Amino acid sequence: MSTKSVLFKIKRQATPTSKPYWEEFELAHHPGMNVISSLMEIAANPVTRDGKQTTPITYDSNCLEEVCGSCAMLVNGRARMACSALIDNLEQPVKLEPFSKFPVIRDLAVDRSVIFENLKAVKAWVPIDGTYDLGPGPRLTQQEQEAAYPLSRCISCCCCMEVCPQFDEDTGFVGAATIAQVRLFNTHPTGQALKRDRLAALMGDGGIQECGYAQNCVEICPKDIPLTKSISEVGGAVMKQAIGDLFRR
Amino acid sequence: MASAAGSTAPPIARGAMHGVAPLRAGQGVSFVLRRLHSLTGIIPVGAFLFEHILISNATAISGPAAYAKQVAFLGGLPLVFFLELFGIWLPIAFHALYGFYIWYRGEGNVISYPWTGNWMYTAQRWTGGIAFIYIFWHTYTMRFTGIDLHANPYASFGKVQNEVFQTPLFLFYVVGLIAASWHFAYGIWLFCAKWGIVSGEVARKRFLIVCICFFFLLSGVGLASLATFRSEPLQVVEPGTAAMVHHAAPHRKPVE
Repeated sequence: MSTKSVLFKIKRQATPTSKPYWEEFELAHHPGMNVISSLMEIAANPVTRDGKQTTPITYDSNCLEEVCGSCAMLVNGRARMACSALIDNLEQPVKLEPFSKFPVIRDLAVDRSVIFENLKAVKAWVPIDGTYDLGPGPRLTQQEQEAAYPLSRCISCCCCMEVCPQFDEDTGFVGAATIAQVRLFNTHPTGQALKRDRLAALMGDGGIQECGYAQNCVEICPKDIPLTKSISEVGGAVMKQAIGDLFRR
Repeated sequence: MASAAGSTAPPIARGAMHGVAPLRAGQGVSFVLRRLHSLTGIIPVGAFLFEHILISNATAISGPAAYAKQVAFLGGLPLVFFLELFGIWLPIAFHALYGFYIWYRGEGNVISYPWTGNWMYTAQRWTGGIAFIYIFWHTYTMRFTGIDLHANPYASFGKVQNEVFQTPLFLFYVVGLIAASWHFAYGIWLFCAKWGIVSGEVARKRFLIVCICFFFLLSGVGLASLATFRSEPLQVVEPGTAAMVHHAAPHRKPVE
């Protein structure tokens, strides 16, 4: 075993309302280790750097290959997926904190249910429920597929919301991810049925207007979703509908 | 995700903890106000800035007489007070006050995430704030104190000179000009991005170059006007006519 070791500084919080505190851990270095594998090691032997017995660290994770969106947290102060955060690429001590704009449940696990509420508010689905077989849907062209696919990669990790200067309790901004999903479902030939509802929803308080175009979302997105383009496109569609309704409704 | 607290534990009710509220579909008027803020930045506030720097004040480069003529033209517009009130003051007041409200509600994080766009987000707020302080002072001194330029357009050049000849005020002019020019130029870019006029990555990048060029044009012409005010001999500021301008600027007399 290598004699190299890795230092961790982890922000912990026992309950949603209790005071956070820091604990330090030291692990033996081994090649290819990442933040989640390190948290697993700590769970197997929850002893702090100064030898004190402690509890395993609570965190969300599932797929370990950056497709489920569970393990988003602040690694060295930046929002990212912990499973793809390779220790060898990180400055030490590796500082782990929960997302700052989401309620902490315990330690590194936060409540990100706001994104699901937002997705529900904009009806981010294709309406195909019914009492009879609707048959095959319309075909998408290759070009449509290529435009939709990057948007469909969203893993609801909420990194874009965490880094957005407009996403806070004062604005209640919906965030880039949900706006990109509006674009995805509004370009879908069957999903288009709910286009008007989705655009109208984005005109509510906390809607697309709160975007300040700082473009942090597109910089941080682990799935390289064209978020700023989506905000522009959907912003245009929202304006078109708003102005159109002034004259036609 | 929320089930991380334990699969058998009841889910923690929203509201028990703080957090960002979900989208309020169908509620409120922030959409109209925010888009109106965006629009007033272009029309009429931006359009006025364009006229003010690139047309009216640029005539100062041609000398006191040309400048006086332009001021006389503007002062002679029909219902000029209402044009000022509804075309300039109220829109600027709305744009500025709602802008401060937007600034207050945001949570700048440029230290943690120092990307260009984030810097520009921060700069848009600071330039707006600086421009507002400058514009407030500038309107107060030029329009509401000292000699009334609507009644005495030929005193305009000298009135500006009286400020510009004082170096601290001259620097304030320069800072105000650059802040307002940047705020407007980048504001055009933001407007086009947010309203879906320029949406693609490549198009937005190209259009940013156009807007930066526009910034240099605005601030360049503005600086040239300011330089003229400072380099011309000091004009007499008193109620008077065109003849007095020539009297006060003997070097502009035709060669006899």
